[in-house]
Amino acid sequence: MGSEIAGIIGRRILVALPLILLVSLLVFVVLRLIPSDPLAMAVPPNATKADIEAMRKEMGLDLPILEQYVIWLGQLFQGNFGRSIAFGQPVIKLIGQSLPATIELVLISAILATVIGIAGGMIMFRLRGSFGEQVADASSTLMMSVPDFLWGLFLILIFGVAFNLLPFSGRLPPGVAQPNVTGFLLLDSILTGRFGTLFSALEFMILPSVALALGTAPLVMRVLRSSLMEVINEDYITMARMRGVPERRVIIRHAFKNAFLPTLTLMGVQFTFLFGGTLLIEVIYSYPGLGNMMVEAVRNTDLPIIQGAALIYALAVLGINLLVDISYVMLNPKLRRAR
Amino acid sequence: MNRTTSLTRRLFLAGAGLALVAAPLSTAQAAKDSVVIAWQADPQTWDPMRRTNPGLQSIYKMVFDQPMTQAPDLKIIPGLFKSAVLSEDGKSIAIELRDNAYWHDGEKVTTADVAYSFLGRMKAGHKIDFVRVWRNVTEVEIQSPTKAVIKLKSPMPTAIQWMAFLANYIVPKHYLEKVGVEGFSTKPIGSGPYKVVDYQRNSRIVLEAFDKYWGPKPAIKKITIQIIKDPSARVAAVQSGRVDFAPDVPVREAQRLEKRKELTGVIFPISRVMLLQIRSDQAFKDHNVRLAAHHAINKQALSRAFYGGAAVPLSIVAPPGTPGYVKDFEIPYDPKKAMELLAKAGYGPKKPITIGMATYNGVFPSDYDIARAIVAMWKKVGINTKLEVIEQGKYFELNRGNKLPEATLYTWDNATGDPEMFTGYLLHPKLPFSAWKDMKVGARVMKLFSVVDYDKRIAAYKELSVFAAKEGATIPLLQAVTTQVYNSGLNVVRYKNGWVLPQTWSWK
Repeated sequence: MGSEIAGIIGRRILVALPLILLVSLLVFVVLRLIPSDPLAMAVPPNATKADIEAMRKEMGLDLPILEQYVIWLGQLFQGNFGRSIAFGQPVIKLIGQSLPATIELVLISAILATVIGIAGGMIMFRLRGSFGEQVADASSTLMMSVPDFLWGLFLILIFGVAFNLLPFSGRLPPGVAQPNVTGFLLLDSILTGRFGTLFSALEFMILPSVALALGTAPLVMRVLRSSLMEVINEDYITMARMRGVPERRVIIRHAFKNAFLPTLTLMGVQFTFLFGGTLLIEVIYSYPGLGNMMVEAVRNTDLPIIQGAALIYALAVLGINLLVDISYVMLNPKLRRAR
Repeated sequence: MNRTTSLTRRLFLAGAGLALVAAPLSTAQAAKDSVVIAWQADPQTWDPMRRTNPGLQSIYKMVFDQPMTQAPDLKIIPGLFKSAVLSEDGKSIAIELRDNAYWHDGEKVTTADVAYSFLGRMKAGHKIDFVRVWRNVTEVEIQSPTKAVIKLKSPMPTAIQWMAFLANYIVPKHYLEKVGVEGFSTKPIGSGPYKVVDYQRNSRIVLEAFDKYWGPKPAIKKITIQIIKDPSARVAAVQSGRVDFAPDVPVREAQRLEKRKELTGVIFPISRVMLLQIRSDQAFKDHNVRLAAHHAINKQALSRAFYGGAAVPLSIVAPPGTPGYVKDFEIPYDPKKAMELLAKAGYGPKKPITIGMATYNGVFPSDYDIARAIVAMWKKVGINTKLEVIEQGKYFELNRGNKLPEATLYTWDNATGDPEMFTGYLLHPKLPFSAWKDMKVGARVMKLFSVVDYDKRIAAYKELSVFAAKEGATIPLLQAVTTQVYNSGLNVVRYKNGWVLPQTWSWK
């Protein structure tokens, strides 16, 4: 199985490289074609025309777009993402400081979405044909219809303001210091043995991650239920029942295992959307991640950050797809043999 | 028995869970010598001289000192400089530094730091907006560790006002030379009332009172600033008691929260104006059309609809309480007169004139709504408007290329209240802020930039502001308002320029 997985990774990377180049080219060209001059925010209002032209030259914005792209790409290969216009600092440093927060948020949301989605799917399947199924169906439709940022505001109003139960801005309460080893707050709290900080950080992540998960979980529920409906009439299920295997065991050990594969594919797609969802959720929850920084960069027309962050998002999507592919091979023996 | 045990365990878990989530509930009010503030923007850089961004001055003023500062009523008062005297020719400033000022690392503040801030950084090629303000500094003559003379190429009548304005701070020479601009921008030290002890970008800033601060020791020893950009989230944070103070919340929310006993909500006008920047050509070439456009706007109605009536209608670009304000002058709302003026120019409701108007959307409260309301008011008298939304920063790009439409909805912040930074900057034809390029007004403005005598200068600006309004060179709309909602237990000092300075606050 190890060589099969290595093969998948190799093939994926081969496909990913030209894809990343294409994405980077698209992002670069589109950002330069929008009718907004990045220098507008880079120079002070009282800058003279000469100042502006000097700055344009310094930033290389006077060169043809393709030439600018080649220079930018060359710098990328040396690990240089450029310097932020607004912050005046290297983009790679800024991304490095904010990306771990986003990864942690997406991971927690993905875990929540998986748990809610699988549990909900199983419950919906169990309730099939009953009034309860209709209620569950309507609930999942409602969950899906509300966009994640609206869930975000709604959860703040309910759990943050009305019941005053959960925090909803930032990552830690005032007075709690943030340990820094790897940049990942949850991991660093564990590594430094600060479990109080860990619980605080998790508490601050409840509302934003639930807001993100609520958009993803209903789809998982529905696909899992449909898949279970399909496999439940298969011969091997009938055989298992005839052998006297208890119904719960039939569903979990036999039906679920096969119904989960299409669900996994969907989860892969949905989890890439979680990254997109962080843009607004991070702003609403004042969460210091890449999404928050990206929104600010767009407001400031901070091209170096937008380019760098867009590339990171593309890499994240490709990475998640790769993980889904690997999981697929690990879970599906037929696929392993076919390869 | 089993049932009872299970129930007890469940209750225990539920209780423990609740205790866990409720633990930080009262963090905001926990200690009476600390305060939690919800702030709307991340500083982006801790170099206070880098950008002339009005929104960040309050945060910078907590950590750094300005040479001069302002009282709540806008009066210019000594800051880090005990005194600053502009010479009669306006070409030199004799300054005296406080002899009990220290940097947060314990080093003493000296005139070497002043020379470095005013000239050294320029020579070192630092890309800071401060340099553009003081580009005509030729020399800083150090006379002693506390005395120096700043020499200028040409007169700068507003030099003292600028010392209390945007990007004007004194920074530590020794520290900047040691850690570099980038190091300073992320881990700053200043000489202000608080020192930075923790900064998490886009999340929070923790400040602690500096025990060697030269000025009054802050009653509040610890400040936590939560960066909460979303106005709804700021409202939720202050309403839930998780923060003690939230500025710039929507007007309606401030009015709603004001009714709660534990909170105080205030809406008050500040030294910021909303206006229409006007072109002197194209469809606005005719003076009658420009004045008609002015008379057709019901500013009181705009104030009531969008700012709870708190925004003061203006006829010149100098709000009440500032030196350049002219009390008895008004361009009234008079749609009938607007139609008469338009008729003189050959237009009217049956034969409307078409103009372009640019506006921001979301840069200042209700900007786009105000623009739409003006479009509707103009339509009634015979002015059709093509409304275009532009991004912040686009104004200068369009103005540089002479591509602004006839009118642009604009906001202008001037913490000092000085008329040069209002009428002067907004109508100086050579500056990028002004859309007005006609020299009839422009020549008078430019002349005033070299008048050093304060009284003469202010009197001349008053005359000029009235003249410009009568010419239709500008259409001032409203004095902007700010909103603050805070814990009723806090004594908050209200600054007329909107500054939020917790060093002046205390708990009741």
